[in-house]
Amino acid sequence: MNFRKKFILVVIVFGLLTVAWISMDFKSQEVPFISVSDLVNHKEMFRQDRFRLGGNVQEGTIHYSDDKLTVDFLLKQGDSIVPVEHTSAAIPDLFKDGAQVIVEGSYKEGIFYADNLMTKCASRYEEESKYTSVSETN
Amino acid sequence: MIAILGNTLLLMSFAFTVYGILSATLYTANGNRKFMLSGERAILSSSVFVILSTIGLLIELLRSNFTLEYVARYSSAETPTLYKFSGLWAGMQGSLLFWVMILSVFIIMVIYQNRNRHQKLMPWVLITLGVIQLFFLAMSNFFENPFTPIPAGMVMNGMGLNPLLQNPVMLIHPPLLYLGFIGFSIPFAFGMAAMITGELDTVWIRTTRRWTLVTWLFLSVAIIMGGRWAYVELGWGGYWAWDPVENASLLPWLTGTAYIHSVLIQEKKNMLRIWNMVLIMVTFTLTIFGTYLTRSGVVSSVHAFAATDLGVWFFWFIVLILVTNIILLVIRRKELASVNRLESFVGRESGFLFNNMLFVAMMLTVLWGTMYPILSEAVTGTKITVGSPYFNRVMIPLGLLLLFLTGVGPLLAWRRTTTRSLRRNFTLPFIVGLILTGIFGAVSKMTLIYPLISVLLISFVAAIIFLEFFKGTKARHRMTGAGYLKSFFELLEKNRSRYGGYIVHLGIVMMFLGFTGKVFDKEADLSMNQGDIKTVGHYDIEYTDYWLETPETNPDTRSNHAAKIVTLKISKNGSYYTTLNAERRFYTDQNNQPSSEVSLKATLFEDLYIVLGSLDLHSGNAILKVRVNHLVSWVWLGTFVLILGSLVSLNIGGLIKGKSL
Repeated sequence: MNFRKKFILVVIVFGLLTVAWISMDFKSQEVPFISVSDLVNHKEMFRQDRFRLGGNVQEGTIHYSDDKLTVDFLLKQGDSIVPVEHTSAAIPDLFKDGAQVIVEGSYKEGIFYADNLMTKCASRYEEESKYTSVSETN
Repeated sequence: MIAILGNTLLLMSFAFTVYGILSATLYTANGNRKFMLSGERAILSSSVFVILSTIGLLIELLRSNFTLEYVARYSSAETPTLYKFSGLWAGMQGSLLFWVMILSVFIIMVIYQNRNRHQKLMPWVLITLGVIQLFFLAMSNFFENPFTPIPAGMVMNGMGLNPLLQNPVMLIHPPLLYLGFIGFSIPFAFGMAAMITGELDTVWIRTTRRWTLVTWLFLSVAIIMGGRWAYVELGWGGYWAWDPVENASLLPWLTGTAYIHSVLIQEKKNMLRIWNMVLIMVTFTLTIFGTYLTRSGVVSSVHAFAATDLGVWFFWFIVLILVTNIILLVIRRKELASVNRLESFVGRESGFLFNNMLFVAMMLTVLWGTMYPILSEAVTGTKITVGSPYFNRVMIPLGLLLLFLTGVGPLLAWRRTTTRSLRRNFTLPFIVGLILTGIFGAVSKMTLIYPLISVLLISFVAAIIFLEFFKGTKARHRMTGAGYLKSFFELLEKNRSRYGGYIVHLGIVMMFLGFTGKVFDKEADLSMNQGDIKTVGHYDIEYTDYWLETPETNPDTRSNHAAKIVTLKISKNGSYYTTLNAERRFYTDQNNQPSSEVSLKATLFEDLYIVLGSLDLHSGNAILKVRVNHLVSWVWLGTFVLILGSLVSLNIGGLIKGKSL
């Protein structure tokens, strides 16, 4: 076997090792992104403990605990609604009524406990409704 | 008026570029030099038009002409002048124009540099760059036109710039990132020209060597500045989160870094010719792909632009690039085959090959993780994301292997290294590494394996680099009799690319130290009332005061926002340390959009990082997020060293004295 072939063999072995290393623990790192209605109606469909949900914050439902460290609100996607609870001192700046958010966490007895709350500031860049509201208010 | 002019110029440059491409293509068919000159001038004019058009948009942004939809969206009368500049790349339309503007500047430079050389390559370089320019011009003209007007008087004041972008770093990060992305077009265009003409020796690589290095430097600094921005502006406490858009910038960096290493082998040994071609093609494709990711809305990310139908066009453009590349590679595969062969696993060539293998593996890892939500949705119907745990699991071991090679690779001899030379070069650094790791382990009581390996490698590699400088300087001192300091600078002067490379590596080592510090980070969420004292780590935080500042009370410093501010008196290990003000802003031109300003006390070993989550002005109750981050400063310091090393390699001094690129 010449050296070139040996080297190719090394690369292949390395590649296989890397793939094996990834797949060994891949399932546990997967976080499915599911819809609120699927979560509410077909919880048994999803085996993972952790999910991501996306939707909008229902207007007027944001409520802070007395020490202000925990926030709960209703997450609305289409016609489905799920209550969400999240504990953190640093709520993202763009979190507010109607904001588009992604929450990650687990679902227990009707409440989604999020340990990660992300706001999509993306939509703010190009949001059509906001733009018209500016021209109206002026 | 300016807007109409800008729009007309943009349309004209589209037409000129079409003509330029056709004319240059005709030249390659009939060899009539007039067609080449004509094509060159057309594309030059087109590039000048684009630049003028961009200046036009900038003027409109600066004078707040709200009859342009773009200006109304990304600027307001209250936006500080400095940040009116950022408006240029804050939105989709402006950023596309800005993109093609930078490409145009590069095209002008390339045409000027090569006006009397590379007669065979240049037509195809011009055509390739022309096609790229045409694609972005088409986007700018027909899909995302920045000069779209709205009736006068309809908008009295614009929406203002996103507060997150109102940060000095954001003035520099996007332009640098663009330079770093677009710069890869140049070596790519030369590679394409080499493939098409069959001029496959090292000319195309040598010609674009400096372009590639400068581009790589811009991209590296841009990525780190993005991290810096996230650190000081987003307030979640870190600088890298494996967000899809961060990943998009990292992908071409990984293959680009592999490329700048492997071309060295082609220059020295005329090997790896196919591989280098593949690398530059992949790198360029990844820059376009990165742009596509951020602008098509296919991945949800904090900084992605909203979804548009632009994605389809980007997709087909990427397909076009890939298909052209593959066809060319297949046609030229015989001519590209190397003459020289690899001989040993412990030679410089193999070192470079392993380096390339690791970079490519890292690229594929990041690509897989980034695209997984899309792939899984296509296959199973459910979008499944993988986050930091996945990336860290794979990237940390790969990164450590790479760190090892950073130290060992450059000291391997070409072809084959003897055991004796291995022992001579690496024994002392290895002992130094072991001792420092022992001390580190004893002091920090660290028992995790990765941080220990990381510290071992960091000290090992740093020792190797210092030893190299020491040996080189000493040898020169003995040879010339000059003083040590003079010998040191002469050493750099005589072998810039080698010692510049060492300095860059040292910068990378310092950054690894910063990455490693993350394992010690502490975080606490505090709810405090005035007068409270709370403890985080060895810091005591006393909440002493709070107040409100508004555009009325502070018109000079707070023209477009109000700020709630708390004062915190910090003691460290029981004695007074510092006083920090943490503030939360509300941007009045953005529907009172809140934005927390991170207050930071950074030292070499620790950063005290405080974010004001909320403040009740009636009761004075403040919610604070406090983090103690370790060794983060080394990431930024390493960046400076990396820049310094790149500048040494690039021979900036010589450049200023008038040597051409």
